[in-house]
Amino acid sequence: MQHCTFPRLSLSIFALCCGGIFATSTIVAEPAVPGPEKSEMLPLRPAELVHIGKFTITNSMLVTWAVAAGIIIFAQLAMRNIKPVPSGAQNFWEWLVQSLYEFLENIIGRDLVKKTFWFFATIFIFILFVNWFGLIPGVGTIGWGHYDPATGAFHVDRPLLRGGNADLNMTTAMAAIFFMLWFVWAIQAQGVGGFLLHLFGPKGETSGIVKILMIIIFFMVGWLEVVSILFRPIALSFRLFGNIYAGESIIEALSNMVPLLSWLIPIPFYFLEVLVGFVQALVFMLLTAIFTLLIAEHGPEKAH
Amino acid sequence: MNVMIAAASGGFTDMLRDTAETFGWNPWLFLSQVISFVIVALLLRRFAYKPILAVLEERRRQIEKAQLNAEKIKRQLAEAEQRYAEILTRANAEAQKMIDEARESSAHLAERKQQEAIAAAEQIIAKAREASAIEHERTMESLKRELGRLVVDTTAKVTGKVLTAEDQQRLQEETARQLAS
Repeated sequence: MQHCTFPRLSLSIFALCCGGIFATSTIVAEPAVPGPEKSEMLPLRPAELVHIGKFTITNSMLVTWAVAAGIIIFAQLAMRNIKPVPSGAQNFWEWLVQSLYEFLENIIGRDLVKKTFWFFATIFIFILFVNWFGLIPGVGTIGWGHYDPATGAFHVDRPLLRGGNADLNMTTAMAAIFFMLWFVWAIQAQGVGGFLLHLFGPKGETSGIVKILMIIIFFMVGWLEVVSILFRPIALSFRLFGNIYAGESIIEALSNMVPLLSWLIPIPFYFLEVLVGFVQALVFMLLTAIFTLLIAEHGPEKAH
Repeated sequence: MNVMIAAASGGFTDMLRDTAETFGWNPWLFLSQVISFVIVALLLRRFAYKPILAVLEERRRQIEKAQLNAEKIKRQLAEAEQRYAEILTRANAEAQKMIDEARESSAHLAERKQQEAIAAAEQIIAKAREASAIEHERTMESLKRELGRLVVDTTAKVTGKVLTAEDQQRLQEETARQLAS
C-alpha cells in the first residue's frame, strides 16, 4: 500500500508546485507594470527573476529546473519498484536509456560510452524535454506585464517561463561545459603530448624532405584545427539557440497574426517544432559525441 | 572578412560586445547558467541515470553470466556426450571381447566335452566289446561244455556202453576242438 502512496504523493506535490507557479504568475501578472517593450517579437534576452549577488535566476533557468525535476521524479518513480520483466514507466525509461546507450556505443565505442554516457544522455534527454516544454501553452505567455490601453489587451513583458534553449546563455553554458569535458576526456585519452601531437603532428608515412614539409604543413594546419575547435562551442550554441528561438518566434508571430484564430494557426508549426526539438537535441548530442570520438580515437582506447 | 577587418581596426571587442548585447548574452547570466546546468547535470547523473545504468549493467552482467554458463553447460554436455560415446565404444569393445572370449571358451569347452564324450563313448564301446567278448567266451565255454556233455551222452546211448572218465574227457576235448575250428 505504501508503494502506491509515495508516487501519488510525489505527483500531487509536483502538480501542486506547478499549479502554484502558474497561479502565482497569473496573480502577479494582474498588477501590471507598464513595460518598455511593446514589440510582438519574442525578446532575445531572458527575463531576470531573482538576483543573488551578481548571479541571476532567469525564466529560462526555471524551465531547466522544472524539466530536470520532472526527469528525476519520473526516473525515481520508474525505478522505485524494479521488476525483472519491466512494464509501464520502468519499461519506457529502460527503453529510452538503453536505446540511447546502445546508439552511442555504436558511435563512440564501449569504453568511451561508459565514461561519457551520463553527459550525452543529459544532453539529449534534457535538451529534448526542455525544447518540448517550451511548446506547452503558458510558457512565455504567463508572467508580469501591462494592459495596452489602445488594444485593451494584456501584454506580458516579463514571462515567468521561457524555453530553456531559446536563451543563448543556456546554450553557450552547455557548449562551454562540453568543451571543458571534451578537453578533460582528450587529455585522459591522449595525454598532453598525444593531444598536442594529435593537433599538430604530421599524419601519414613519409620520409626525407617530404616528411619535413609535412611537419611544417601539419603544424600550420594544426592552428586551423585549434581555431575550428574554439569555434565549435559557438557553432553548437548558436545552432541550438537559433533553431529554438526561431521556432518560438514563428509560433508567437503566427499567434498574433489573426487574434480570433490565434489558437488554430500555430498548430501545424507546433508539430514542426516537436520535430525540430527532437532533431536539435539529436544533432547537439551527435556532434558532441563525434567531437569526443575524434579526439579520443587515436588514444590508448583505440586498442579496444 | 568583416571579423578580420573589425579586428584589424581594433573594434573586434566592440563587435563581440554588440553581438552579445544583441543576443542577450551576459557574462553573469552565462555563469549563472553554467552553475545551474552543472547542478542539473550532476543531479540527473545521480538520480536519473545512475539507478537505471546500475540495473542495466547488472542485467548485462547476468546475461553475460548466463551466456557463459550456457556455453559452459554446452561444453560440458559435449564433453559428457564424448565421454559417453567413448565409454560406449569401450564397453562395446569390451563386450565384443568378452563375447569373443566366451565364444572361444565355449568352443574350447565344447571341443573338450566332445572329446571327453568321444573318449567316454569309446571307453563304453570298449567296455561293451570287452564284456561282449567275455560273454561270448563264457557262452562258448558253456556251449562247449554242453555240447561235450551231449556228445558224451549221445555217444553213450548210441554205443550202449558206459564211458569212462577218460573217454568222456577225450570226447569233450574233441568236441571243443571241432567247435573251435
